[in-house]
Amino acid sequence: MGSVVEIAPLTRLEGHGSVRIYREGCRVERVELNFIDSPRLFEALLIGKSFAEVPEIICRICALCSTVHKVTALLAVEDALGIEVSEVTALTRELMLQAGMIQDHALHLYCLVLPDLLGVRGVAELASVAPELLKAGLAVKKAGNTVLETAGGRLIHPVNICLGGLGRSLNKKELVRLKDELQQALPAAQEAHRLFSTPFPFPELPEPAFLALQPSDRPLGARLCRMADGPTFPLRDYRQHVEERVVGYSNAKLSTVQGKEATVGALARLNLDPDLEPLAAQLFATHKRELVGKDVRSNNLAQAIEMCHAIERALRLIDRLIELGPQRASAPAISPRAATGSAACEAPRGTLIHSYSFDAQGLCTMADVITPTALNQGALARDLLALACAMEGEETTRMTTALERLIRCYDPCISCSVHLLTL
Amino acid sequence: MRPMKVAITGLTACSGCQLTLLNCEDELPELLGLCELVYFPLAESGNVLDAQFDAAIVEGAVSTPKDLELLFSLRNAARVLVAYGTCALFGGVAAMNNTISCRRDLLQTVFGDAVQLPESFAPAPLANYVSVDAAVTGCPPEKQEIMELVAALAAGTLPPARCYPVCTECRSRENLCLLLEKRELCLGPVVQGGCNARCPATGIVCEGCRGPVREANVAQELELLLERGFGREEVERRMSRFKPGWNYGQRR
Repeated sequence: MGSVVEIAPLTRLEGHGSVRIYREGCRVERVELNFIDSPRLFEALLIGKSFAEVPEIICRICALCSTVHKVTALLAVEDALGIEVSEVTALTRELMLQAGMIQDHALHLYCLVLPDLLGVRGVAELASVAPELLKAGLAVKKAGNTVLETAGGRLIHPVNICLGGLGRSLNKKELVRLKDELQQALPAAQEAHRLFSTPFPFPELPEPAFLALQPSDRPLGARLCRMADGPTFPLRDYRQHVEERVVGYSNAKLSTVQGKEATVGALARLNLDPDLEPLAAQLFATHKRELVGKDVRSNNLAQAIEMCHAIERALRLIDRLIELGPQRASAPAISPRAATGSAACEAPRGTLIHSYSFDAQGLCTMADVITPTALNQGALARDLLALACAMEGEETTRMTTALERLIRCYDPCISCSVHLLTL
Repeated sequence: MRPMKVAITGLTACSGCQLTLLNCEDELPELLGLCELVYFPLAESGNVLDAQFDAAIVEGAVSTPKDLELLFSLRNAARVLVAYGTCALFGGVAAMNNTISCRRDLLQTVFGDAVQLPESFAPAPLANYVSVDAAVTGCPPEKQEIMELVAALAAGTLPPARCYPVCTECRSRENLCLLLEKRELCLGPVVQGGCNARCPATGIVCEGCRGPVREANVAQELELLLERGFGREEVERRMSRFKPGWNYGQRR
């Protein structure tokens, strides 16, 4: 007889989701992944808003990722309107993205994944079972947050970054303080890989098709996407390569890239010959065999290494900002024009693409946001089915626990993923 | 003292308000010590919503039947229900087009015509459906506000409501007035303070993320902005970003 097991709500991840496992006897027929966050409809809400409003509104898609959404939106609008920014502005933005990477990975690893490793229910029990570990993790997270708050003027939904420039640039005293904070967090971040290097003991999963942006020399200047074993394609043409379709049971859309279910995020970046800072490069070399060509269970380890990399890179960016000194120039006058612009950044969870069109008055006529979680969703669904099939006959709670842990490996952000565009 | 039983969750929202709590890194262990988290899916597994508890802290607007269902069960089980953040209090960004476009059109723009559209109605504040005992505003709220809230609840009381505009704190910080001196579209005069004028202090106008202050002189703000050459349409669009349906004639 057929039966359905439901895991709802999915916990320790951002947003509302559920999983249904359909079984015939003990044979798994199908697994349904539902992202049931209420539809937020940002792409529709932005139509008719002015170009200046777009980045301020769109960052509200998601709190965890608000910085990278805002930066990507700024880059896309600037691309459309032909606005150039100063080096200080570009560096400050990249500094904020690195800080976002630090705090986001730290939150995921220490607050959401660590409970699985220690067999507790969540962050409250962690506080009594492993107070020192939790404290160390929170300290790393705090270093990232302090940078975000100082550079962004606010931690969630930053205000200091705006079109063409900054509200104000950081002074030397602030930069030195941030440097201190980051240096203090570095040792813990350097050790994090030890905690997360053992993949969860469930059966091997299909090998992912990794996708990431090709690093560029200029800060935030990436204009090319590349896929393992596939051609590199310019970001401008992303619509020809990324296909989205609506599935009836979920409020997010499924994406495929060049016909494949792509995997984006920390593991994908490390697999596509990354440009790592020295300490992170050492860690990567030590763990290469556990990372290259491996399935998504290694994503937590990849995040731990990236956390170290992000701190090192942030320190380097701060040194350069101190060297340059604060900028005096105010943001340039911006005149609207009918145009389309696109941009992409590597968000903590993977490649994030924004694209907007404006009319001659500068009002938005088209908005398109492709989030890492939307890109990952196809691969996640595929892996869930593979894992459920491999665990056929096992006790139901063992299976649901394993599925939940698998989902957490992808570090999905459901808020982000449930507002995708028209096809 | 028995730790109070608390549920923390979100409806139609970005999780930013809940995250603000997790961002209180230094205070988090102590705050967690005051609470027994009976339901907090963002950070806890294995919670079920069945027993009675002391307080529900709810972020987000109500825009789907599922939101409503969750809100009702929280209201039924909690002694105190707190609207946590601008969306829960005023509708927030999700509601910005409530007065100018219909929900179905928005859904179709995003999901197309081909499929069954998700069930969704115009996003509304919690108080449109249930009684709300306390409120914390902000998109997102300030860290000290959530700490204040948890501390107040643990002490068996409620946090005080703030009833002064952003300008009060902005002037006391001696910031340059972006509205009068730089002639920018700043909403400080009609928006609830408590953020210590965060945005104007970095040279960015108040976008109104904390919603209307009590007794806001909306008509005067509108006149001021029109005099400075902003179009009525632009002003209304900006003011609706976090709360639709201002009373533009209100003068007090």
